[in-house]
Amino acid sequence: MISKFLFGPVRTGMEAHRPVLYRIAYAWCHDATLADDLVQEALAKAWARRAQLRDEAALKAWMVSIMNHCWLDHLRGRREFDDVDVLQDELESAMESPEACCNREQVIACVRAAVARLPLGQRQVLTLVDLEEFGYAEVAEILNIPVGTVMSRLSRARASLKSMLDIAAKQHAAQPALRRVK
Amino acid sequence: MNPAISDETLHAFVDGQLDVADSEALTARLRGDPTLAQRVCTLRSLQSMVRLAYAEPPVAVGAQPQRLQRRHLMQRCAFGCLVLFAGLSGGWALRSMEMQTASALQAPAASGYQAVSLTREADPNRVLLHLDSAAPGRMQAALDQAERLLDEAEREGRAMQLEIVANSHGINLMRAGVSPHAARMARMTERHANLQWVACNQTIARFTSEGQKVELLPAARVAPTAIGEIVTRLQQGWTYVRV
Repeated sequence: MISKFLFGPVRTGMEAHRPVLYRIAYAWCHDATLADDLVQEALAKAWARRAQLRDEAALKAWMVSIMNHCWLDHLRGRREFDDVDVLQDELESAMESPEACCNREQVIACVRAAVARLPLGQRQVLTLVDLEEFGYAEVAEILNIPVGTVMSRLSRARASLKSMLDIAAKQHAAQPALRRVK
Repeated sequence: MNPAISDETLHAFVDGQLDVADSEALTARLRGDPTLAQRVCTLRSLQSMVRLAYAEPPVAVGAQPQRLQRRHLMQRCAFGCLVLFAGLSGGWALRSMEMQTASALQAPAASGYQAVSLTREADPNRVLLHLDSAAPGRMQAALDQAERLLDEAEREGRAMQLEIVANSHGINLMRAGVSPHAARMARMTERHANLQWVACNQTIARFTSEGQKVELLPAARVAPTAIGEIVTRLQQGWTYVRV
């Protein structure tokens, strides 16, 4: 309330989105420190460019789109990729394949590992739709891609996620059977 | 024969991106098409697994506190005085606001029940009813409540998910041969594709160890523990109502 008093509603609105941004950033890069940096950078840029925000209702989507630029800049800087479009369909994270799932923590780790293995473009669409319930049109605007691409990426992302988790579940189902054989 | 439904359409349905007419048409088809219902169910569970996986992302070590301590310490001291003043004057405004949110929270539940949700606003489209007693009045109330919520959602064209979780003696509601409402429950399940009956496995184990044979109605599924189910649903943003 105080900061609202001092800095106006936009600043508080931005700060309030920090957990949302962090969740998305973490789901994209699966690295807590990097995610924190991305959020910080996105908040700073958003604050600097607050004059460009026309519609306050779209604050969240606008900030996510700024963070998307930060993330792509980061990727460009880290690897010598000129063409991020190629990267969006091909890059897979180096994380291990999802392994046996049995309890809650393992399910969580398992899903995270599977999401991390999705190509970047698919991972972004999936996390924006599933975690923050953005509409397809909003996601298209945030990532600056056509709505059709959003839908096809989402569909491919869920299909490969399902097959990865099915394989993991089968591995798990196979384990107790092996034990019983002795 | 209806044309096959594409994956894209199903995804749009699950994400609430179809318009009301298409969504209703699909809901109607789901009732008569178990394979399709299975596909939707798989998508929904995939979605809730992703949500669960990122409900509590790990925090970056030592990233936050340092920044706060150094730069903002002086400012914070100065703001302290302001906080006091604003706190007093804001008291009135907040009081009325809080009363508003409290009434908003209770909106999805009938009068006399309190809805609990971890999100800022209770989600009227995902509701969990918890029954832990075999008192006839409570059972009746649970079913009435469920039917009222589902009918309301149907009238307003919302796609609502509702789950009734039973443990302790409440499980009698879902036991074949014991439940006084079996016929009504079967009717409800048939009418509403998104209604689920969940029984607590721990309770079943306890009843079994006491020598009672527990057979569930065909519509009911079993969760490892009722509490686990409730906690998971709350984390996924569901609204909890104890009947």
